[in-house]
Amino acid sequence: MDSDHTGTSRSAPSPIQPQEAVPRIERLEDAELVTQALSGDRGAFGVLVDRYAASVRRVARAVLGDADDADDAAQDAMLATLLKLKQYDPRRPFGPWLMRVVANAAHDRRRRRKVRRTESLDTTVIAGGEMPDALAHRHALSLRLREALAQLPERRRTAVVLFDVEGYSHAEIGRILGIPEGTVRSEVFHARRALRGILADWKEEV
Amino acid sequence: MMPPESTPFDHRPDPVVGAALRQALAVDGHAAFVARVLARLEERPIVYWDILESWARAGITVTAAALLAGFLISGRPNPTTLEDVLAAGAGDSGRVMLSAVRPPDPAAVLNLAEAR
Repeated sequence: MDSDHTGTSRSAPSPIQPQEAVPRIERLEDAELVTQALSGDRGAFGVLVDRYAASVRRVARAVLGDADDADDAAQDAMLATLLKLKQYDPRRPFGPWLMRVVANAAHDRRRRRKVRRTESLDTTVIAGGEMPDALAHRHALSLRLREALAQLPERRRTAVVLFDVEGYSHAEIGRILGIPEGTVRSEVFHARRALRGILADWKEEV
Repeated sequence: MMPPESTPFDHRPDPVVGAALRQALAVDGHAAFVARVLARLEERPIVYWDILESWARAGITVTAAALLAGFLISGRPNPTTLEDVLAAGAGDSGRVMLSAVRPPDPAAVLNLAEAR
């Protein structure tokens, strides 16, 4: 299952998967899962990990660039979350609280290590041989976007990913990053302008 | 087609930028990642000590107090009866000392101890 999370509260199960088929624990709200995890239920924590893994990994990748580094940071953040779980206020949405831990973990990792550019151009894309054209184009565009993201200041790229990809509000992102809401708006706006420029150029080239 | 240029006052996510970024930041191996995190969790039982810390601290305090009380009770010498003291005196000296109004002469106590 490629679990994904958008927004700040538990989304309803997919209509493709009838509720009866979903194990009871997976239907629980985040706050209920946190309570169970705090009482020692590893299964409950596993559901939280599964529910948020995709978002956590994307945000970590936006901060760090390198996918392996990002996964290490995402793992550290998930484990740190369990340690800090008793600090979580169940009256507030879990997502922004988790993302704050993730953003901090990724930021710390980035500061500790000089981020290396391990992203090498895919030779099959360059050669234009083995991949179908559409797939090759998507890969190339993704690569260009990741490069563009890497050029943006860390706070700016984190803000745009949290807003446009993960669906958090400006106010929530402000709390996640510890900056005023107005600054978040400005960061998202400038990041979008840079990324839209690349997307527009790309469409012209293709 | 690209939507119109956004402004800092947009409240909604930009679907074009969002979809492109989602694609660019896509990561494979969701199930493997979840399994990896949970496996790492199994390797770190210390994590659960932290979770249990809140109630364990109180439990440890109570246990420590109970142990201390038990030690104090069991560690005290058995109460000595008057008969034991008198028998240990091996004569009248001990009886005299116990019945005396004034404190005994230290020399007499030492003599008694030497006699034993």
